[in-house]
Amino acid sequence: MSVSSAVSRKRKWGPRMWPYLFSLPFVLTYAAFQLYPVIYSFVLSLYDWNGISDRSFIGFKNYVQLWTNDPLFIKSLWNTLIMMGMFIPVTLILGLTLAYWTFHLVRGKNLIQTINVLPYITTPVAIGFIFSYLFDWQTGLVNLFLTKVGILEEGFYWLQDEWGSRAIIALMVVWRNLGYFMIIYMAGMTIIPQDVYEAAKVDGSTGLHTFRTITMPLLRNITVFLVVTSVISGFQLFDEPKLLYGGWSGSAQVGGPDNSALTIIWKFVDESFISNTRFGYASAIAYSLFLLILLFSIASYRLTAPKEDKR
Amino acid sequence: MKMIKWIGLAVVSLLSLFPFYIMIVMSTHYNEDLFKGIPIWPGDHLMANLRTVLAADFGRVYSNSLIVSVASVVLATLTSTLIGYAVAKFEFHGRRWLQTFVVLTMMVPTQVGLIGYIIEMRNIGVGNTLWPVILIWGAFPFGAFFMIQFMRDAIPNDLIECARIDGCSEPGIFFRIVLPIVKPGLATLATLVFLWSWNNYLLPLVTINKSEWYTLPVFISNLGIVHRTDYAARMAALTMTTVPVLLLFVLGSRTFMKGLTAGAVKG
Repeated sequence: MSVSSAVSRKRKWGPRMWPYLFSLPFVLTYAAFQLYPVIYSFVLSLYDWNGISDRSFIGFKNYVQLWTNDPLFIKSLWNTLIMMGMFIPVTLILGLTLAYWTFHLVRGKNLIQTINVLPYITTPVAIGFIFSYLFDWQTGLVNLFLTKVGILEEGFYWLQDEWGSRAIIALMVVWRNLGYFMIIYMAGMTIIPQDVYEAAKVDGSTGLHTFRTITMPLLRNITVFLVVTSVISGFQLFDEPKLLYGGWSGSAQVGGPDNSALTIIWKFVDESFISNTRFGYASAIAYSLFLLILLFSIASYRLTAPKEDKR
Repeated sequence: MKMIKWIGLAVVSLLSLFPFYIMIVMSTHYNEDLFKGIPIWPGDHLMANLRTVLAADFGRVYSNSLIVSVASVVLATLTSTLIGYAVAKFEFHGRRWLQTFVVLTMMVPTQVGLIGYIIEMRNIGVGNTLWPVILIWGAFPFGAFFMIQFMRDAIPNDLIECARIDGCSEPGIFFRIVLPIVKPGLATLATLVFLWSWNNYLLPLVTINKSEWYTLPVFISNLGIVHRTDYAARMAALTMTTVPVLLLFVLGSRTFMKGLTAGAVKG
C-alpha cells in the first residue's frame, strides 16, 4: 500500500470518526447508568410496587396521594424550606463579609482560605457525629459550657427540640459551606478590574461606600450562582439531618423530634430503603422533587438572566 | 475597624477548626474519662483507641473506600476528558447537540434515578458489591462540562493541526499531546472526584448492606449501632478518615480551590 493512499484514507475516516468515538464512553455510560435509571424510576412511580410482589399500574395515583394525602411529605417539604431559609442568607452574608475582609489582607490570605475550606471537604458523617456530640444534652460540650458559665441552669435538650434541631442542622450547613462561599466570592473579586476601584478612590469613595456601590453589584452574578446552587442542593439535604440523628447517640431516630428534621430526601430514602420498600411511591417523591428543582431553575433563570441575553 | 476585621477572621477560623480539634483530642482519651470533664488537652490513649478501631475490620473498610475513590477518579476523568476533547476541539455533526446534552445532564439530581439504578444493579448481578458506588462515576456531567471548558482554553488548535500533518494518529495526539497539556485540569478534576466519592454517604448507604463492602462513611455511621459504645474509638476512626484527606487538601490547596471555584466564576 502506498503512503499516499494510507494518508488519504486516514483523512477520510480519521477526523470524522474520532470525535464520535471519543464521545462514546461518556454517552454510553450515561445512558446505561443514569438515563435509564431515571426513566425506569419514572415508570415505577406510576406503579404500586413494594419491590417483592407483583406490581400494579395505578397511573398518577402515587402523586395524588403524595401531594394531597401525605401530611408527612408536606411537612418534610416545609422542613426543607425552613432550613434553607435559615442557612442560605446566613452563609451568604457571612461568606461575603469574610471574603471582603480576607481579600484585602496583605498577609495570611491563603492560610485563612485554607482553614475555612476544611469543613467543606470533610465527610458529612464526621460533621454529623461531632455536632451530635457537641449538642448532646448530657455530655455535650455546648451544654457543659453553658451551664458552667451560668447561662443555663441545666442542659438544654437541643436535639429533641423542634426548632433546636432545625437550627442545629442549619448551623451544620453554615459551618460546612461558609468557606466555600468565601472562596467563590473571593474568586469573583479577583476578576473585578482594579482600575474601577482606583477610579472610585479618586472620586473620594472609601471603605463601606465602595463596597456597597461597586463590589456588591459586580458580585451579583456570583450571588445568583450561589443562591441557585444552594437552593438546588438544599432541596437535596439529607446527610446532615440523617447523621445528626444516627451518630453520637447511636439511636436511629427517623426524622428527629416529631419529624421536624425530616427532609424530602430523608423521607424518600426512608420510604424506599429503611422503614419501607415502597419503590413506586418513593419514585413519585423523587420525581416531585425533580419537578420542584426544575421549576425553581427555570424561574430563577427567567428572573436573573442578564438583559443582554434576552435580545 | 482593622481590629474588628482581625478578630472576626480569627474567631471564624477558630470555629472552623474547633470541631476537628475536639475530634482529635477525644480520640486520645480513654473512653470512660471523656465524661469526667471537658476534654481540652490531648490524653495518652491514642494508640489503644487505634488498636480498637483496627480490630473492627477498619483496614478492610479503608481499602474499600480507597478502591472506590481511585476507580471513580480513573473512570470519571477518562470519560470526561475524552468527551471534553471531542466537543472542544473537533468540528462535527452533533457537536452542539452533545454540548447541550452535557449541560442538561448536569441538571438532573442523582437521587431521581436512585431506585431505578439500584434495581438495575441488582438485575445485572452486582447489587451489594462495590460496583454500584463506582459505576455511577462512569459519566460525571460536571466533569465533562469542566473538561470542555478547560480544553477550549488550554489547547492551541495549531498544535493539534501540526501533529495531524506530521502523521500522528488521533489516539496518539490525544495521549501524547492533549493529555500532557491538560494535566492541571486533570489534577483539579481528579481531586474533586476523589473528595466527593470518598465522602459519599447516601449511595453506599442504600446499595451496600454487607459489612464486608462498607465504605468509610457507612461504616462509621453504623459503628454506634453495631459495636459497644466506645466513643473514643469512634472519634479515632473519624480522625483516621478525615485527617488524611485534610492533609491532602492542605498540600494541594491551590489546585483544590481552583477546582471548587471553576464552575462558579465562568458560568
